[in-house]
Amino acid sequence: MKMLKCVVLAAAAAVVGAPVHAADYPSRNIDLVVPFNPGGAVDTTSRMAAETAKKFLNGIEIKIINKDGGGGVVGQTFAARAKPDGYTMLAITNSAVSSPLLKGAPFKITDFTAVGLYTIDPEVIAVPDTSPFKTITDFMAAAKQRKLNIVSSGAGTSHHMAGLAIELGAKVEFTYVFSRGFGEELQAMLGGHVDGALWPFGIAKQQAVGGGTRILAVASNESMPGFESVPTWEKSGLGVPAWQTFRGWAVPKGTPQEVVTFLSDLLKKITAEPDYRAKMDKAGFPVVYRNAEGFAKTIAEEDVLTRRIMNEKGLTLKK
Amino acid sequence: MEVLALGLKTLCDPLVFSMLLLGVTAGLVIGTIPGLNDNIAFAVFLPFSFSLRADMALALMVGVYCSTAIGGAIPAIMMRVPGTASSMLTLIDGNAMARKGQAGQALSIAVTSSVVGGIVSALVLLFFAPLLAKFALKFGYVENFALGVLGLSSVVGLLSGNVLKGLVSGVLGLLVATIGFTLKTGQPRFVFDNMNLIEGVPFVALLIGLFGVAALFELVEEILVGKRSEGGHEVIPGIGSTKLSGRLIRRLVPTWFRSSFIGSAIGIAPGAGSLMAIYVAYDQAARAYLRRRHQAPDDPRWGEGAPEGVAAPETANNAVVASSMVPLLSLGIPGNSVSALFIAALAIQGMVPGPLLFTEHLDIAWMILTGFLVANILMGPLSYLMINTMIRMVFSLSKETMVAAIALLCLTGAYADGNNVFNIWVALMAGAVGYGMKKFNVPLAPAILGIVLGRKIEDSLMSSLAVSDGSWWIFLDPKSHPISLALLVASAAFLVGPVLSAWRRSITKHAPSSAN
Repeated sequence: MKMLKCVVLAAAAAVVGAPVHAADYPSRNIDLVVPFNPGGAVDTTSRMAAETAKKFLNGIEIKIINKDGGGGVVGQTFAARAKPDGYTMLAITNSAVSSPLLKGAPFKITDFTAVGLYTIDPEVIAVPDTSPFKTITDFMAAAKQRKLNIVSSGAGTSHHMAGLAIELGAKVEFTYVFSRGFGEELQAMLGGHVDGALWPFGIAKQQAVGGGTRILAVASNESMPGFESVPTWEKSGLGVPAWQTFRGWAVPKGTPQEVVTFLSDLLKKITAEPDYRAKMDKAGFPVVYRNAEGFAKTIAEEDVLTRRIMNEKGLTLKK
Repeated sequence: MEVLALGLKTLCDPLVFSMLLLGVTAGLVIGTIPGLNDNIAFAVFLPFSFSLRADMALALMVGVYCSTAIGGAIPAIMMRVPGTASSMLTLIDGNAMARKGQAGQALSIAVTSSVVGGIVSALVLLFFAPLLAKFALKFGYVENFALGVLGLSSVVGLLSGNVLKGLVSGVLGLLVATIGFTLKTGQPRFVFDNMNLIEGVPFVALLIGLFGVAALFELVEEILVGKRSEGGHEVIPGIGSTKLSGRLIRRLVPTWFRSSFIGSAIGIAPGAGSLMAIYVAYDQAARAYLRRRHQAPDDPRWGEGAPEGVAAPETANNAVVASSMVPLLSLGIPGNSVSALFIAALAIQGMVPGPLLFTEHLDIAWMILTGFLVANILMGPLSYLMINTMIRMVFSLSKETMVAAIALLCLTGAYADGNNVFNIWVALMAGAVGYGMKKFNVPLAPAILGIVLGRKIEDSLMSSLAVSDGSWWIFLDPKSHPISLALLVASAAFLVGPVLSAWRRSITKHAPSSAN
């Protein structure tokens, strides 16, 4: 009998304990899993956010954990399977949507709960400075004549998908040259070894300002600051509305709502910090904040879009 | 010249200079530990670079980048375990020298060669960077394929023993390189449903296994056998003098010159990687040595303690360092994973490598350029200091302690690269394979060459054919791809050359006998 009492008491304590735990959150450091090597865009922006977060967390820190491999799959799977207690977050990007669809990654995008988004990077078409294509009209006219060689990061990435979307929208075909890293893409562009590139705006901007490449069209709703003369994809007749790389935070499904809200508010504070904004801007990443709900919508739309393109281009899930 | 002074002035700030000094020292220590390399060191250091001034953070990185390769040579020579991948070939002749009681000589050659290679490369970076960057841009997919083929042809220098076993090893490496997703389709290949293999077999873990863990197994075996038969294990007899004779130095000058050139040239080509430079330099030294040995038959055979076998890879691995910064600093193109981390460090400080760096942060840009030269000069005396302390340490360790230390370092090192437990299994598996290969006298170096180059060659071949719409003639097109044509002709000559000369020798040998 005494034994039973103990069990009941312990169970009651556990039930009462859980919400108390969420109220205490965070009581220790939070891991932010970056599913790529140190040094890339996700890693750099995550580190900037973690550094700024110190201002708001009274001694608790966001720790970057690099778990690379499988083009992000290893780290994404690790985060999807982590304990949903708010102490493991994933630095999430478009590849978390495409990995299960194209690479047969052992998780679903619905295994994650969106926390918030901190940057949206519209896709651009860029060409080498020495290219004969001065405008997007020149470029597309040539694309109708022959298959242009387009460099982009790997097959099935959102950049490759952007190219497929243009193929569908503007009735052209491209030859894709893929890379294992941005260095290879830049080399191919600056050396004039390809006709053009599909890049996120943040990266393309740096290369365009530094010289060597030219941005022809950007996949945002409006023209980008500093590049007012560059038309949007929509206006250029590519038949593709906005197309973007997003970067944000997500937690495993089942994380308490209070915790998600806490992290979402934390990200909001970080993105409002002038020092953080200045660093992000300097590095070329446009700071945009979306809360948990808004980000969840962005992810869902990406999922629908990716499935549609796969369907229309006849790409199937490979095991 | 004014900018040069500006760079030196930035570097002479006591804080910046001490960071450079700290970097060189740290690099030497990191290099000596199997499993730790400059890549991992930078990844660990990156979070701290937020709180440092840009010039200090970058000076530290320059120091580490320059000196890890020397550090790696110390365990390679003393224990036959390369501290870094770059000392993989050094261990062949280096350890052979050590076992003959010439460890001091081998270490000295490694240090002087590294300093020579490093200084040449730093001068190249300092004075020819913009010019060479333009040349580097000519390397597209087609040229990279040809460069890969040239690298593969350097396997000839590695076939000093049993040719068949060397080739088997090389093919094994090429086969391992096929594991992982194909660039063309993004589809996994030979991954056995294991997500950890999608990007190929983790390279650092593989190297740690093939060298470190395999050496561990050997040590365990020695201990077990030694316990049974009391003694009988091979020990390094003594260190011997570290002073190099003037005659030896004069003899090594051509090797230094050749290897510095090869290292600097390959370093500039983005994506070629330091290992290719080391292999090509080693191959060229092997050819020269064979020619030389005809006149001096008393010299040790290649691979059994030839000083050039230490000098060539050690010169080349430091000659790659500064020159690999040419495309990074002038164009923003990272040539390898280490320079990609330089980009990350710059990005954290709100800087962009490439032409913008020279307009917006002239002082930092030139501090880095001059930093490479100064770091290479500091490296010499610091290495000697390090060697003296290291050797005492290694000698004072019992075999049992050494086993424990190597085991700990190898397994943590494997895990640290990607924070993945899977890597530990890879290291253990590779260790068993490496041990087996040693038992059957199958050389390891061709296998590593195959692993490193297999994927590069495949990627560049597929991309070249995509660009050329499937035409193979693109590689031999003298008008649009003269570099590719030249490189392919050179590789053909490297491959056919030894066969031809052997044939000619056999003719001249037979000619008089048939006349009789």
